[in-house]
Amino acid sequence: MAETAYGVGIGWRPEIAGFVAGLPGLRFAEVVAESVHAHGDLPEGLPALLDRGVTVVPHGVRLSLGGADPVEPQRVGHLAAVAERLGAPLVSEHIAFVRAAGIEAGHLLPIPRSREAVDAVVANVARTTAELPVPLALEPIAALFDWPDDEMSEADFLTEILDRTGALLLLDIANVYANARNRGEDPLELLDKLPLDRVAYVHVAGGAEHQGLYHDTHTDAVPPAVLDLVAELCARHRPPALMLERDGDYPPAAELRSELDAIAAAAGCPAVTG
Amino acid sequence: MQDTWGIPGPTFIVGFFIALIAIAAAAAIHRRILFRGDKNARVDDLGPQQIAYLNGGDRLALYASLGGLRAAGALGTTGRALVQTGPIPSGVTPLDSAVHHAASRQIRTRELTDDQWVRSALDDLRAGLERRGLAVSRETIKRARLWGFAGGALLLICVLRLVAGAQNGKPIGFLFPALFFTAIFTFAASRTKRIATTTAVTRLRELRTEHGYLAPAQSPAYATYGAAGAAMGVALFGAASLYAMDPAFAAEAEIQRAIAGGLSTGSTGAAGGSCGSSSSCGGSSSCGGGGCGGGGGCGG
Repeated sequence: MAETAYGVGIGWRPEIAGFVAGLPGLRFAEVVAESVHAHGDLPEGLPALLDRGVTVVPHGVRLSLGGADPVEPQRVGHLAAVAERLGAPLVSEHIAFVRAAGIEAGHLLPIPRSREAVDAVVANVARTTAELPVPLALEPIAALFDWPDDEMSEADFLTEILDRTGALLLLDIANVYANARNRGEDPLELLDKLPLDRVAYVHVAGGAEHQGLYHDTHTDAVPPAVLDLVAELCARHRPPALMLERDGDYPPAAELRSELDAIAAAAGCPAVTG
Repeated sequence: MQDTWGIPGPTFIVGFFIALIAIAAAAAIHRRILFRGDKNARVDDLGPQQIAYLNGGDRLALYASLGGLRAAGALGTTGRALVQTGPIPSGVTPLDSAVHHAASRQIRTRELTDDQWVRSALDDLRAGLERRGLAVSRETIKRARLWGFAGGALLLICVLRLVAGAQNGKPIGFLFPALFFTAIFTFAASRTKRIATTTAVTRLRELRTEHGYLAPAQSPAYATYGAAGAAMGVALFGAASLYAMDPAFAAEAEIQRAIAGGLSTGSTGAAGGSCGSSSSCGGSSSCGGGGCGGGGGCGG
């Protein structure tokens, strides 16, 4: 993925499949890996996208790489099979846990930034990449709180995981913004410390403030501050691809198009909306 | 003892079934020709209401109009009656105007076809489709139903033979299946119904594939697709689309869910609206696991 510039893409969801299909300049999309059958029919609309040469990357949400337990082999197998089916150049997953002791959280939960946690993630990533036919990109998540046993800064934590696993980085710029804002930190500091040359692609999502905290909702518009951060990121190192990640409360097509255009403008990429 | 009408029973029954099969075959061939339509007819310039008419007749055309007007914020319900909730959007069809106008006097959905303006808009819509060889005209249906007379004639012969045979003390057991099949044919032929021509049915199937993203199973984001997308969803996938789009409105407007739903197959795909699998929010966002916004957003 690093060799080609894909420009601005979008998270493919069945709800907006018709909108995504109508984006003339689209070269890159992401699909939630768990929504794709490894062997059955592909979701309606996805084959047409692949046929026109759009690169579709499976994005796992339920591997639980940050869990204390080893990743479940059948989930890794599914991710690998989906990557093969889609002909994807890479797959992505979160640095988070979604279950523990057999209990599903239903959410991506943050893991403590401790050396022990790094070891657990590294071990799980190694188990995963051993089965994957393509590289893995890891996405740090937005967290509303920090664990009391944090030993490392976020930049050190991520860099160490990336260094030890050889994985790529899926940078969610809205998460960078959310975390910095909720911790009262400067998001640019994190950007300056991260290995930006390892960024495979970037998520851009909307959010909203609620009771004094910024929530990375994926159901609101992308705030100007996040677009500014996109511009700052691209001024430092433009990633091969950036994508709008919207997961619900989908707005009229014109609004989605202007969000895509705004991301393209902030990143200095060509518009995909035609 | 003499044969009834001078024809031996086996000869009659064989001859009767040959006649019935010949008539049924001729009727089927005639229907094919009658309902063929213009094989060069195009549908790509049709609006949602025209497509809806072809898919489900007057009622679905009305539902497509309701869907478009509802998505545009021009229509709502009070109790069970339709009401205007906004101005009529620009560039709407005559049917939209008529429905919107009818809603000004709080009409119920099922009474819409009694409204003179709505009725005339529907008639114009149908006439236009008939001229293009996409809709079957009433005259054509009448012609197809003429085969009911042929069936009726056979039925009469069969009944007369039954009576005569019975009076004659002849075995008449084989006449009952003959009567049964003739009655079925006659009933079916005289009640022939058809909305779309064969060409139109084929084109509709193609349109349904092309617009598969509007199938209710995809949980389409109607806000994104706009009023035209909402109306097209109803047109192609039936009244179930109205329920998917706005269940409260659809229920209050007494939309009949089954209208044209039977045709909307083949596009349910794998994604569907299954629990949390189509969102990147980490799992069970739609399964009561707290929702995306609850526990601090998606974070992914």
